[in-house]
Amino acid sequence: MNVITDHLGEFGDGLLVTVELTLLALAGALVAGVVVAALRVSPVPVLRAAGTAYVETLQNIPLLVWLVLAVFGLPEIGVMAGLFTTAAVVIALYQGAYVAEAVRSGINSVPVGQGEAARALGLTFTQSLRMVILPQALRTVVQPLGNIAIMTIMNTALAAAVGVVELTAAANRVNLAEAQPIWIFVTAGLLYMALSAIAGLATGTLERKLAILR
Amino acid sequence: MVRTLPGLRRSAVAAVAALSLAGLAACSSDDSSSSAVPGAAGGGDKEDLTSSAPVAASLPAGSTMEKIKQRGRLIVGGSLDAPLLSQQNPATKKVEGLDADFGRLLAKYIIGKPEVKIVNSASETREALLSNGTVDVVFQTYSITPERAKQVAFAGPYYSSGLVIATKKGETGILKPEDLKGKTVIAGANTPAIPAIKKAAPDAKILTFGSDPECVQALKQGRGQAYVQDEAVLLATAKQDPSIQIQGKPFTSDPYGIGLKHGDAQMKQFVNDWLKNIQASGLWAKVWKNSIGTVVQGDAPQPPALGSAPGSE
Repeated sequence: MNVITDHLGEFGDGLLVTVELTLLALAGALVAGVVVAALRVSPVPVLRAAGTAYVETLQNIPLLVWLVLAVFGLPEIGVMAGLFTTAAVVIALYQGAYVAEAVRSGINSVPVGQGEAARALGLTFTQSLRMVILPQALRTVVQPLGNIAIMTIMNTALAAAVGVVELTAAANRVNLAEAQPIWIFVTAGLLYMALSAIAGLATGTLERKLAILR
Repeated sequence: MVRTLPGLRRSAVAAVAALSLAGLAACSSDDSSSSAVPGAAGGGDKEDLTSSAPVAASLPAGSTMEKIKQRGRLIVGGSLDAPLLSQQNPATKKVEGLDADFGRLLAKYIIGKPEVKIVNSASETREALLSNGTVDVVFQTYSITPERAKQVAFAGPYYSSGLVIATKKGETGILKPEDLKGKTVIAGANTPAIPAIKKAAPDAKILTFGSDPECVQALKQGRGQAYVQDEAVLLATAKQDPSIQIQGKPFTSDPYGIGLKHGDAQMKQFVNDWLKNIQASGLWAKVWKNSIGTVVQGDAPQPPALGSAPGSE
């Protein structure tokens, strides 16, 4: 067990980076997702097509490929950002595609009458989306968004492959020194479980608070 | 609504299935090396080392070696992507390099034929693969350390390597490991370079990437000022890529051992006897010439003394 206690610092630093990466990526993903979902339900065909293209491109190429492309490809065209920044942006954009689909399903669950009533009151498309549709849509997709949050936590592990020393990379480094893979990776796994349990609990609480009884 | 044409979807499924099958076929690499054509395609000057390799006179009854012989092939934990050490040739499917050749020679010594199956292992899984019996031996630049020796038995060392520093061409001021102080240093994930850099320059920032090409790319793009890697690997890289330069001499000594199941003293003795045999007969030097000798000038070095590394006694 001293394998773990001797390296608490490394695990702690890794956990912190994982949490930071998750929170930044989730914040970015929520913004990107809502915008893309709005595009996908907009009345303008070009915008709808752009939204669809975004979701299909991001979802149909694995995150690891995106990360490697961004980290090694962007500097070739003169765009050079830090590894952590690059990873956070890529994960945010990738998860944004999933958030967009979840939010869109929420928008579709809002009864048509709501949109019609908003239009009858003279609200523009943006106004009705912002003030009538989205507030109801987001409340119905708290649970799917919670799942995406958990998926984001797990996906941050891929940043280890492009040099971000988050929890997985930290566990790898400790294992390199100690050669006790079972204890070390079980510990890392438990920490990931703890993070997703927190995300799950938060989602449950939010859902109970925000749910609309129809 | 994402609509997919049924035909399109079916062909996509077929394509994915075909791809994954191809991937599987590539991984299971039944490297039976019965490609008796020496150096078929590529590396035409390589001679077939296994034909003249020794075979053990007798195997102790009930030993691990006897079980391997009955099975008919040796299961080796190794890499398929380590240049000069254990790399699969995409044209011939043959795994080439120092570690791969030693694996075949050991198989020949035990079984009489160079029948080897390589199980692609990683530095995270080697100990587990050995202890649960998935692989018989590990040939994978497995540096002998006292910590690891608590979990696996090490025969050898069979080769001694060292870490060197590479930089972009024209970089000055980085010659010794102490010069790495305060610099950003690139290293392969899960390589002994990480602890070595920490020891030589505790305040250096270490960036790790999964594979050697990624590390080289990161160095060229300026994500770090230096790249620390095994000498043999870097020599091969620097030879291919003129924008990379090797600075100074190796600053560590990494004894590579043959990983065996912990506590199997009989097999350890047997493998050490085999190493003694091939070192004395000059076969060891030929293996070196065939792999690392293709990028390093001069004669084969003196092999490290058996049991000389802490953890291999």
